[in-house]
Amino acid sequence: MNDSAGTGEGTKMDVQEAASIMQEARDRAGREFRLSHRASFIVWGLALLLGYGTMWLTVRGQRPFHGPSPAAFAAVTLLATGSAFAAITQARAESGVGGASALRRRIHSLSLVVGLGGMFALEGALSRAGASRAVIGVFEAAAPILVAGLFYLASSALWLDWPVSGLGIWLVAVAAAAAYAGPVGVWAVGALAGGLAFLLMAAVEPWLRRA
Amino acid sequence: MSDDELDPVIHAPARLRIVVTLAALGDGDNLSFTRLQELIGLTPGNLITHLRKLEDAGYVTTNKNGSGVTARTSVAITHSGQAALEHYTAVLRRLLDSAQPQ
Repeated sequence: MNDSAGTGEGTKMDVQEAASIMQEARDRAGREFRLSHRASFIVWGLALLLGYGTMWLTVRGQRPFHGPSPAAFAAVTLLATGSAFAAITQARAESGVGGASALRRRIHSLSLVVGLGGMFALEGALSRAGASRAVIGVFEAAAPILVAGLFYLASSALWLDWPVSGLGIWLVAVAAAAAYAGPVGVWAVGALAGGLAFLLMAAVEPWLRRA
Repeated sequence: MSDDELDPVIHAPARLRIVVTLAALGDGDNLSFTRLQELIGLTPGNLITHLRKLEDAGYVTTNKNGSGVTARTSVAITHSGQAALEHYTAVLRRLLDSAQPQ
């Protein structure tokens, strides 16, 4: 850019031009500073659909029920990767923005890590207290969806995002309903109702951002 | 400056973009110099010139954190800058309305 032109000094700007510059700058800032959840929705959606789907394939038909195989590890890894990716996306969106909202986003991301960590600790406590493998199976499948739902509900409260709020409520409902499907069905309900909800949100997010 | 006059500090394309962009940040937020430069599309030298004028008027604040390669300069709009932009917008709206044919 030409330096002398770039300073804008001596440039006569009429009111129409000023109004259009304001509008254009406001629109651009709105787009650039608004947090996009799309990438995290896709990763969560795939993690649930593929991870939970794999778990369901592993545990269906087990007599007696003895829980998921090493696929459990794979699913947990996928979920962890999803969380990490979500955090990276957030970090990219806030790139260059410091101060109060950057701190808010970091604390919010931490809540997901703490929530999932607490969930694993609870699972251990349930096992120690003598819970059956079936009870633990229901818990380990439903709890991450509950944590994700509360994470997105908190997100919607922080940034007043109604569609994300709807997703959060839906996930909490899915976690509760899936638990009633038993230690085998919980994986299938979570994969379909949770995974597809995330992928649907990822598909409509660009449209919602424009609206 | 009268109530019907556009604030000359803001009434320049680059400074108007800077002030509007910084005003779009959340309360208590700031923006890095490099990101602001990317959004406004100015050379570093030009941006510094405009920021200095805005800073002299008390409309923005700049802060430098760290040193060497990790140094980060951040820019934020002040309450006075927010008020000046609101006044500028109101005057601009009045001028646009009066310019429209009856």
